[in-house]
Amino acid sequence: MTMKPATGVTVRGERAPWLTLKMREAIEAWLFISPTLAGFLIFFAGPLVAVVWYSLSEWNLLSQQATFVGLANYNDALFRNPDFWLVVRNSIVFAVGLVPLNMALALALALALSRRFRGVVFFRTVFFAPVVTSAVAWAIVWKFLLQGEAGFVNQLLAAIGIQGPNWLREPDWAMVAVIVTRVIKMVGLNMILYIAALQAIPRDYEAAARLEGASNWQIFRMIIWPLLGPTTLVIMVITTIGSFKVFDHIYLMTGGGPENGTLVLAFYIYQQGFQFFDVGYASALAMIMFVIVMGLTVVQLALRRRDT
Amino acid sequence: MKVRLKSITLSALALGMMSSALAAAELRFTVWTGNEAHLSMLNGIAESFKETHPDVTVRFETIPAGDYTQKLTFQLAGGNPPDAGWMMEDAASTFANAGVLEDLAPTLNAADGYDLEDFSEAAMGLWSGDGKVWGVPFSTSPFVIFYNKEMFDAAGLEDPLALSAKGEWDMDKFQEVAKALAESSGKWGFEFKDGQGYDTRIMHALMPPIRAYGGDVWANQECGFDKPEAIAAVQQLHDMVFKDKSIVPPGENGDYFSGNSAMTINQISRASLMSDAGFDWGIAPLPTGPGGEAPVIGQAAIVVFTAGQQKELAAEFVAHMTNKTNVATMAQFFPPARNSVLSSEAFTASNELIPAEQMEIVGEAIAKGKVLPSHERSPQILAAMKPRVDALWRADANVEESLKAVCAAIQPLL
Amino acid sequence: MTGSLTQRQLRLVKQVCWTLSLCIVAVPFVFPFLWMISSGLKGPSEIFGRPSLIPTAFRWSNYLEVFSYQPFAAQYFNSLYIAVTVTVLTLFISSLAGYALARLRFAGAALVALFLVSALMVPEEVTIIPNFFLIRWLGLSDTHWPLILLPVFGPQGIVGTFLMRQYFLALPKELEEAGKMDGLSRFGVWWRIALPMSRPALAAVAIITFLNSWNLFLEPLIFISSLEKFTLPLALSNFTDPYGSPLWHLQLAATTLAVVPILIVYLIAQRQIIESFALSGVKG
Repeated sequence: MTMKPATGVTVRGERAPWLTLKMREAIEAWLFISPTLAGFLIFFAGPLVAVVWYSLSEWNLLSQQATFVGLANYNDALFRNPDFWLVVRNSIVFAVGLVPLNMALALALALALSRRFRGVVFFRTVFFAPVVTSAVAWAIVWKFLLQGEAGFVNQLLAAIGIQGPNWLREPDWAMVAVIVTRVIKMVGLNMILYIAALQAIPRDYEAAARLEGASNWQIFRMIIWPLLGPTTLVIMVITTIGSFKVFDHIYLMTGGGPENGTLVLAFYIYQQGFQFFDVGYASALAMIMFVIVMGLTVVQLALRRRDT
Repeated sequence: MKVRLKSITLSALALGMMSSALAAAELRFTVWTGNEAHLSMLNGIAESFKETHPDVTVRFETIPAGDYTQKLTFQLAGGNPPDAGWMMEDAASTFANAGVLEDLAPTLNAADGYDLEDFSEAAMGLWSGDGKVWGVPFSTSPFVIFYNKEMFDAAGLEDPLALSAKGEWDMDKFQEVAKALAESSGKWGFEFKDGQGYDTRIMHALMPPIRAYGGDVWANQECGFDKPEAIAAVQQLHDMVFKDKSIVPPGENGDYFSGNSAMTINQISRASLMSDAGFDWGIAPLPTGPGGEAPVIGQAAIVVFTAGQQKELAAEFVAHMTNKTNVATMAQFFPPARNSVLSSEAFTASNELIPAEQMEIVGEAIAKGKVLPSHERSPQILAAMKPRVDALWRADANVEESLKAVCAAIQPLL
Repeated sequence: MTGSLTQRQLRLVKQVCWTLSLCIVAVPFVFPFLWMISSGLKGPSEIFGRPSLIPTAFRWSNYLEVFSYQPFAAQYFNSLYIAVTVTVLTLFISSLAGYALARLRFAGAALVALFLVSALMVPEEVTIIPNFFLIRWLGLSDTHWPLILLPVFGPQGIVGTFLMRQYFLALPKELEEAGKMDGLSRFGVWWRIALPMSRPALAAVAIITFLNSWNLFLEPLIFISSLEKFTLPLALSNFTDPYGSPLWHLQLAATTLAVVPILIVYLIAQRQIIESFALSGVKG
């Protein structure tokens, strides 16, 4: 019989005598994992290292000329370019507005829809529909709905006697608009995660508490909320990271305007790198974004650990 | 079979050893039109190139206009450069400065009967310097007022062309009729270019009135927005938007082409799409102002990219494409920059949608007009301007302060 | 008697109020779809006229124009085949890796898992610039390769890996042991025993991956420049006439064409899809 190398595919029956069982398992494991790992190294780890290197140079995307400049790009961002702090502020405002709103709405909807009643499937379907819709389509449509006086939203408000703002033309309202439309787009996902978690809570907990005379609020506060802890953590981390990733939504709805009021990091990186050709500066921004997102994630995980 | 093989070997040899003009080759040429009439005209020009270059085919690749410069950047930076292509005026300086545009002067000067001098100096301004030529303008398209004749008639007003003939078509008259039109129709009096005057077409919105008042947005590395002429011009626009409510305000849409606005400003080339409009229309020159007549021109040129593999061949094609015959051919869609073509009767008769006397407006505007401003750091300047111009377009904005803020933002970049 | 009746009535009233308030909350979730479909059938002048959900005249021709204006059919096909390719590759690669992480013991397993998890926490904007140069260096600019490679090997594939790992961990080992006794190789055990038992997880990964690829925007924006190679999201954001003026009515008709089929599939398979997403959260 012919002995082929241990690819995991061809080694069959007879065992290669010089390999211990343990070693063989390890080799097979590495083979199984190698496509993912190779991809990770090539398209993620490598680029992450490269971005550090890029961020230390002055590099024009068009002319392709690069010179080493040390920390100048970081210096520009942190101390010289006033736009940078505005962008960081916007990104944080966006996250701080989006994450609690998204989670609160998701939890409220989940509490409303975790029990069976007539029409529950319909409502779950409706609240989840924007999740499967492309962000591009969503942004395009909302941009129309949020026009000044002729927009549908303001027509609706006018019908009940409220004069709506010119949503996408005033910096603060534009920020509100992109946050709320993004929440409507994504809240269904978190709602489903909460529903799954709620349905995993044994019914007798609630029944027992009711026997003791606990109110709905007490049941929620003392039983349900603590049991949702792990899910809440996952949702919080995912949603926070997601809020920093937002690009298409901003790109299509406001283009970062008005008055840079919705210019967030993800969009700013794109703008600096691909529209102004400043690869070095954009890479420094990418590194700063990396540090911010990693930092927030670690803080969230650590806070949670302290709680439990 | 044998013959075919032989010819392949021969052309392979030719590729390696002879001038590229003889080789079988395909040129990639990027354009932003997907219009069939445009493309068939371009393909016709490519076909006639075969008379001198039998083995050369040209593939025209359409990139949507909105993202054109951005996509071109991705192709050049992404190692996938086209050989040649169209380029908009606002990208000219940036690209030339980055050294990605090939100098066409040697090829154009060597081309038979080409006569580079025939292009007006004003038209070549953006695209040449130090004896080098980065691009050849193929569309020198003046901005004109498009008006909805039916709305003027309904309001009982004289239309801009008639006013212009009487010498009364100035900025004050413009404001007056816009207001009257908005009030009588319940629609809008005027719409900025494509309704994008507050976003992507800031320059197209602000430039014409500022020039009519005798100002400039910037000149000689100095910001012009905070000069008295510019302030007066922008103040007038601001009043029209927020006091008269005659210009479509930010965040609203009042599309001229679908009949919701009585006037708009656009390039003359846009007229080729007016045959679909469901109303009577006309064109008139831009209103004059204290600074006199000040036509503004939008430009686009043909360039060759240094990163391409077939630069010489591409340059030869550009020479062919912009020779006298082909410029005359293209004039049906794109107003030419060649003096000899501009003054010809063929040109005034070239656009069947526009009567000859109106075409004369176009010819005059091309001759007198100034091109939209460009700068090697255009993308950054526009981005720096944008938030400050956003602040200008608020009902309660102080125009002078806002324009000073614009200057403060862009001066370091100039 | 009367007491129990009012009790019943009370419950009914409560139920009605409850449903009514949910309906009100549902408006911003549903309305954009209705408006999009209606406006895609309007003429350009009507979209900005008095808002009304019912067009004065149904312009079905908008849908034809969409196809003549851009190579929309080709773009539709691009999105479809790229999403299917990405999904199939991701299923294969991530279930292999997930299986190894769940079942096989090897030195460094924990470290590998930690590394992979870290990729989930980094927005793709961080690595997009080096990836742009990498794709250029590979000579793959303006091809569909980056739209396939980056999602399969990027965070999306890693989400799949962890979903699969989680599911494999919960599977009973006995059948696999039996398979090994019968002389199946490790690959055979994975392919013939473990995979068939993990249909729900595979479906979850498939749905999430497909939607992600179908809706991808930043990567096509940066890597694709030829019109006929565009994917749908890119095509939707690009409805302008030859002079750069937007063509709203066509854009909305095209958006409808891109969204409605997915919505229909979603409505048909909504239970499965919603469960998949619920499953995706379990990974923690």
